Amino acid sequence: MNAGILKAEGLCKSYRDKEVLHNLDLTIEPGKIYGLIGRNGAGKTTLLGILTAQNTKDSGEVTYDGQPVWENQKALDNICFSRELQATLFSGPNNLKVKHYLKSAAIYYPNWDMDYALRLLDEFKLETKKKISQLSKGQMSMVTILIALASRAPITILDEPAAGLDVVMRERFYQILLEDFAQTNRTFVVSTHIIEEAASVFDRVIILDEGRILENAETEELVGQFRYISGREDVVDRVCNGLQVLSTHQMGRHKTVAVRGNVGKLAAAQEAEVDISPMNLQNVFVSLCGHGDAQ
Amino acid sequence: MRGTLNDQSLIYLQIARMLEDDILRGVYREEEQVPSTNELARGYNINPATAAKGINLLVADGILYKRRGIGMFVAKGAGDRVKQKRKAAFYDGFVKPLVKEGASLALTGEEITAMIQQAIGEEKRK
Repeated sequence: MNAGILKAEGLCKSYRDKEVLHNLDLTIEPGKIYGLIGRNGAGKTTLLGILTAQNTKDSGEVTYDGQPVWENQKALDNICFSRELQATLFSGPNNLKVKHYLKSAAIYYPNWDMDYALRLLDEFKLETKKKISQLSKGQMSMVTILIALASRAPITILDEPAAGLDVVMRERFYQILLEDFAQTNRTFVVSTHIIEEAASVFDRVIILDEGRILENAETEELVGQFRYISGREDVVDRVCNGLQVLSTHQMGRHKTVAVRGNVGKLAAAQEAEVDISPMNLQNVFVSLCGHGDAQ
Repeated sequence: MRGTLNDQSLIYLQIARMLEDDILRGVYREEEQVPSTNELARGYNINPATAAKGINLLVADGILYKRRGIGMFVAKGAGDRVKQKRKAAFYDGFVKPLVKEGASLALTGEEITAMIQQAIGEEKRK
């Protein structure tokens, strides 16, 4: 699939007097699955909304293939942002039916694949005659996933698709995502709070913290930079000399620290009288964005 | 979610190691085809690029090779090469931790050696 680069430069966004995005730069390259992770209120949905011209920005620019996306239908034809559905619409129950969403998606997305949509409807056991307000939270997630996948948009963005799905369905969702990715090699951006079970799916992970991009890195390369080191206080301190210490946990003389450093230094630490264990993406995320709350 | 994969090392290393294990066990014999990047990605719910990284590691070690347009195959002598590679890592991965643990328990060198001899004897009787 011929996708362009989606690029944000110098994005700023405030709601009233609270700035939620601070001078943010981000490049989404084609043919990759990006994971977007960040704590509640980090600005994930705001960022995704601005990237897809569904939300306004105070300053900065978003371009697709070099062209601004704002009010640019040609650029937006290539981008799908399937938002979470709500049981209410305009302060009443959302009485639109699943089929209405499918119909409008078919009109809106030029690459819409109806066969694929029907296959997914069958797979998810969704009834097109059902009103959105009658669906469970998981079924609403399935509708947004279905629309995102069947849009066949070169850049497809999913905000919290796994929320509300049970564990079997989440696993199936990532399977379907990977199957589609293997076929189309299109770009996906997926935000999630259920980090660990998605980590192996992401080529790259974007960590958003308090309105700033903390990391935009290859997942395994990032995770490989982190370790836990534990042992007797003085030995741990000696070993960690020169490494970036992210958090410390002490019980009596026993000390555990989360560190980040180059692999050579970590290998040198291996020689000393301490235990060194790897982290997973979730541990890395908590170390970087915990701000002491997790203690 | 990831089948038999775990958190203890990077996923592409685990993919490479599993393929090596399967070669040693005769799951895949010399000149036989191994699963493709996409099959591995589907099987373990991992990104295809990660699976490819694992496979490429084994290509670099001469354990797998590519037949253009068909797929990845087990190289001649791959089993021996896996064993050579693991022997090289045996000292760092097994012997050193064993000695380290022994030292922290104040076991003497003679005691550790005696235990190793005993274990070798038990393994032979199996």
